[in-house]
Amino acid sequence: MAQKNQRTGVIREYDMHSSSVRVGYGFILFCCAIMVVVCIFPLLWVVFAGFKDLKQFVSSTSILPESFHLSTYLTTWNQLGIAKNYLNSLISVIGSVASALLFNGLLGYGIGILKPKGHKVVHKLVMLSLLMPATISIVPLFMNIQKVGLGNSFIPLWLSFGANAMYVILFVQFFASLPFSIIEASRMDGCTPLQTFFRIVLPLSKPICSVVAIFAVNAAWSDFLLPYLVLRSGDMQTVMVRLFVFSTEQTVNVDDMMRSVVFSMVPPIILFFIFQKQLTENSVSVGVKG
Amino acid sequence: MIYGLKKWFRTHAKAGEQIQAWMIMLPGLILMTFFVWEPLFESIRMSLYKTRNVELVRFIGLDNYISVMGKDDFIQALINTFSYTFWSLLLGFGLPIILAMLIGETTRGKGFFRTAVYLPNMLPGLAVIILWSAFFSGEKSGVLNILLSKVGIPQQSYLTRAEWVIPIIIVIATWKGAGSTALIYMASMASISPDLYEAAAIDGATIWQRIIHITLPAIKKLAGTLLILQIISVFQIMYEPMVLTKGGPDNASLSLMQLMWQYAFGGAMNYGKASAVAVTVTLILLVMTLIYSYLDRKESDWD
Repeated sequence: MAQKNQRTGVIREYDMHSSSVRVGYGFILFCCAIMVVVCIFPLLWVVFAGFKDLKQFVSSTSILPESFHLSTYLTTWNQLGIAKNYLNSLISVIGSVASALLFNGLLGYGIGILKPKGHKVVHKLVMLSLLMPATISIVPLFMNIQKVGLGNSFIPLWLSFGANAMYVILFVQFFASLPFSIIEASRMDGCTPLQTFFRIVLPLSKPICSVVAIFAVNAAWSDFLLPYLVLRSGDMQTVMVRLFVFSTEQTVNVDDMMRSVVFSMVPPIILFFIFQKQLTENSVSVGVKG
Repeated sequence: MIYGLKKWFRTHAKAGEQIQAWMIMLPGLILMTFFVWEPLFESIRMSLYKTRNVELVRFIGLDNYISVMGKDDFIQALINTFSYTFWSLLLGFGLPIILAMLIGETTRGKGFFRTAVYLPNMLPGLAVIILWSAFFSGEKSGVLNILLSKVGIPQQSYLTRAEWVIPIIIVIATWKGAGSTALIYMASMASISPDLYEAAAIDGATIWQRIIHITLPAIKKLAGTLLILQIISVFQIMYEPMVLTKGGPDNASLSLMQLMWQYAFGGAMNYGKASAVAVTVTLILLVMTLIYSYLDRKESDWD
């Protein structure tokens, strides 16, 4: 415990003898507390706002609702048929994660471990696509999808997660840290490269697979631009697509919209609290996303 | 058949392994081509054609560019996009560094602060924008109006003031993104040995001197990288103004990428003109990246 509470920053134990530093330290704690309030308050507010009916929502000048009846949430959930959208989002997320792990993992395995002649060119190309803004090619990508007849289907959404430059780079970097002797030994024992991948490399790569999986779950859940273009038909809309339609076409009341916002935030928040350790400690690579 | 193949691979072990390796990479390469690389080239090609729906009608050279850039909304969007970048750097570049330093100094509750500050980053971007739209709503039930009325500031309409919309959108984006960036800085600061601070303290360096001579130099390179990534990402801002203000009031928050979306999916289905806007954005970003890497190299030469 003593270890944990040791000072690792600029302020040293010895500085704490000075009273001005102690005041400064108090100020730091105060700033951190403000920061926590700023981060959490909007979330609490929207959950509270969800308990207000339309009349309260547009006219009440109080932060807290008059009552906390879950019926407001249940009515919105049932009337708008959000369950269907949840199911669609689930389908989209599961396929996207599987595709993200398999295709990016295999490409990373080729670049990072197998290294056939010419792998460096591929590596460079992947690195360059990391800098290339994704939304810029959304128009031709949408046209490509139309041309191959994959409109109104989850398949292009799943496969788009198999082409993520950042995930490939994460895999390549992790694979580079694996002991080469194990892979060489498996080759000597007569495993084909593909067998080596599934029997040796993947079991050793759980940390990176879980990181990529968490990112992919969150990204697939939050994505709405490509899904909006692809999933035109109403019964395939994911939660985020539905929310996007609400916000652009203004077909629902503002109180229902706020409750839909809460519905859309519940799964990421659950995911966050389950994996908060991995997320806040693996942030070295997390952040490079813009 | 399988046995034959295996035998063939064994006798041609070297060449066989090369082919196998490429076969393993093939699915990923096909997907990268279909989803990333080909659309990029197609974007450039399409911007030079007159298009009707998904068809290229005829080659028209730079006409799409000339027609797009000649319009007032393009100039406005270009200025706005630079304005977004300016505000984002002003509000969002230094803040994560400050947050990282503050959290790094705490002895108790560090884990809690890290968790709290990272939470907004996990939320879906669209949900965040809609949530904040209620905060900045001009009604008397708008959250900011409620809060500010407590200190006597009268009801305001925030999102209809041309000079406020861009800073407001950047505040929202910073609320979502600053925490995760702060954690990256924290990781970098954690790798500074406490002995260094200890030694400096013994030599009589004040706390500010330690920050300026130890902490800041240690994160300088990272800050440079994050700066360029931030510019690239803000420059593509699109759905935030689209959802929050629809580009208004009077195009005051219209961004370049939003203009692209309007050309393509806003009813006109003019993919050629949309691509011309997209390619222009890519070129601007490319130039900025090159300038950055040139300055970066020049600076390393000095060291």
